[in-house]
Amino acid sequence: MSVAVAVTLAVSLLFAATAPTLGRRLPPAPATRVLVVGSLTVTASEIFVLAVVAFTWVGQLPDIAALGPWSTVALRRADPIPESAAVGAALLLPVLAAQLSWWIVRRCRALLAVQRSCRHLPHTDSLVVVDTDRLDVFTTPDRRGRIVVTTGLLRALAPAERRVVLAHETSHRDHRHPWWLLAAELAAAVNPLFTRTARTVAHTVERWADEDAATAVTDRRLAARTLARTALLMHQRSTRAPEGALGVLTADVPTRVQALLAPPPRRQPAVVGLLVTLALTCIFGAAAVQRSGERLFEHASTPTYTVKG
Amino acid sequence: MDSGRRQRGGLEQEVIAVLAADGSAMTPGQVRAALGAELAYTTVMTVLARLCDKGVVTRRRAGRAFAYQAVVDEDEITARQMRRLLDARDDRAAVLTRFVGTLSADDERLLADLLRHTEQAGDRDDVR
Repeated sequence: MSVAVAVTLAVSLLFAATAPTLGRRLPPAPATRVLVVGSLTVTASEIFVLAVVAFTWVGQLPDIAALGPWSTVALRRADPIPESAAVGAALLLPVLAAQLSWWIVRRCRALLAVQRSCRHLPHTDSLVVVDTDRLDVFTTPDRRGRIVVTTGLLRALAPAERRVVLAHETSHRDHRHPWWLLAAELAAAVNPLFTRTARTVAHTVERWADEDAATAVTDRRLAARTLARTALLMHQRSTRAPEGALGVLTADVPTRVQALLAPPPRRQPAVVGLLVTLALTCIFGAAAVQRSGERLFEHASTPTYTVKG
Repeated sequence: MDSGRRQRGGLEQEVIAVLAADGSAMTPGQVRAALGAELAYTTVMTVLARLCDKGVVTRRRAGRAFAYQAVVDEDEITARQMRRLLDARDDRAAVLTRFVGTLSADDERLLADLLRHTEQAGDRDDVR
């Protein structure tokens, strides 16, 4: 059991350490999928393993043991997990649960606020134009996914550039990018080791939309130029101070421009395979931990229990 | 179709963008010119008619053709709510996917260089 626990936790650390670097080498769409699904499964496996480890100690508490058929003495003798590790896991779990709940409350509040703001908009899937001199464009995460753009930005762009910006936001909307981002942040909210992965996903999601926009206008250099010019225009006219929010997760614009100036990224099945293998190893590890945990408690419940060498 | 594959509703969005950027009423010919793409006149007409049905665009007679104008939502609540979204910070901004985030001074310099570089490369291509 100790081996399965150690392997699962070691592989999950390996995934968290390598995912950001490997993810950046992949084309953005598969990178987003494999990083998000991977970090969620790895986090779930970790939590599961921690819970089993914690329960080998919790199960020894008299009040808890009274609820089950196992003997505390037998359990303590057969338990291969050091008590300190099990107590540590039992103390860590409520902390992680609190972190997760806090994150969920904050994000739900934000999503509801955005939902409220969009409630009065007409029920069409067309563009929402806000009449202001400010330069801004974004996609909302609500059910319809609205693309909101200011007249200031529309006027500042040439027709071809407008097509790039709109195609970029349409990609965000059609591929539900806000939700991929939230899923990546969810893993990071539970496990801070995935913060760097979530930041990478914020980047790959933007790259995904950039690549879609470049495909839509069939001109990578036009897409690159539009991105650079729009970013500079917005920056020069912006009144907002550098902020947190996406600030923490700000996708870095020069890298995106350089990627568009380079040829389209090539598929990398080996890298995807490696990340998938790591994530699957975590799932199998968690399953092994679960099986041996079950066996441990069955063993401690058998009346004809004898101490083995 | 000029180039590339268009996304769902892509052309409709572009037409709304053209009308909203201009602000005044435009004939289909003007819209077609402003789109800056090689589109058939009838394609533009079809899209304008569809937008009209949806109530996003209004039309009135201008000589022999119709002139189209983007409907401006003058509702106070909508305007205020949209401003709130533009001003969104921290948590609320984090759930919106923005075209670009904030730039550092280094980013700004690097982007200006990249832009100069691509424009020069573009000029060379044009000469060729």
